[in-house]
Amino acid sequence: MSSQFDPVPMMSSEPQPVPATSEESNPIRDAIAEAIGEHKVILFMKGTPEAPACGFSARTVAILQSLDVPFAAVDILPDPRIRQELSAISNWPTIPQLFAGGELIGGCDIVTEMYESGELAQTLV
Amino acid sequence: MPSVEDIRNRIVAAIPGASVEVEDYTGGGDHFRATVTAAAFEGRSRVEQHRLVYEVFDGEIGGAIHALALKTQTPANNQPN
Repeated sequence: MSSQFDPVPMMSSEPQPVPATSEESNPIRDAIAEAIGEHKVILFMKGTPEAPACGFSARTVAILQSLDVPFAAVDILPDPRIRQELSAISNWPTIPQLFAGGELIGGCDIVTEMYESGELAQTLV
Repeated sequence: MPSVEDIRNRIVAAIPGASVEVEDYTGGGDHFRATVTAAAFEGRSRVEQHRLVYEVFDGEIGGAIHALALKTQTPANNQPN
């Protein structure tokens, strides 16, 4: 299973100007919301599925791979604003975060629990 | 650095009647695992149950508390399986 996941870039190579005041336009938040809406299963994680940078992210990736579920993946590490905006959208403080059908399924603990009960396979497949 | 007792007491204070077990699983005072059993979780999804506990440590998770692994359950489903 070589290219089972679909990396989603959140950042353009051009640094975006940071508005001094709170503004309507928030490109990172919009990009995250769009990615959550567009992908049936999407994982926000530290690192990449090939090279997870945290044990909780690694465990979540391993579970998805063992279920053979195709998923999109976003590395939150390149820019702290990704995590900040993600948590603002999801009302969830920790990473990883798994979404399916636009809804937050949970973090590593919930994903593990649902995997062990068989519920995750039913939700994702 | 929060202790296991601090973590436990803060969850109990915020979720009255909760039964809470906390473990410092690295011994370093920043990675905790908590099992929380509370009637307040009844009728709530797992995501909502975990949010109730995370809210107790608003802003500290990812900071002073590097990780808080959670298992939440209601008294009714706290059965060995």
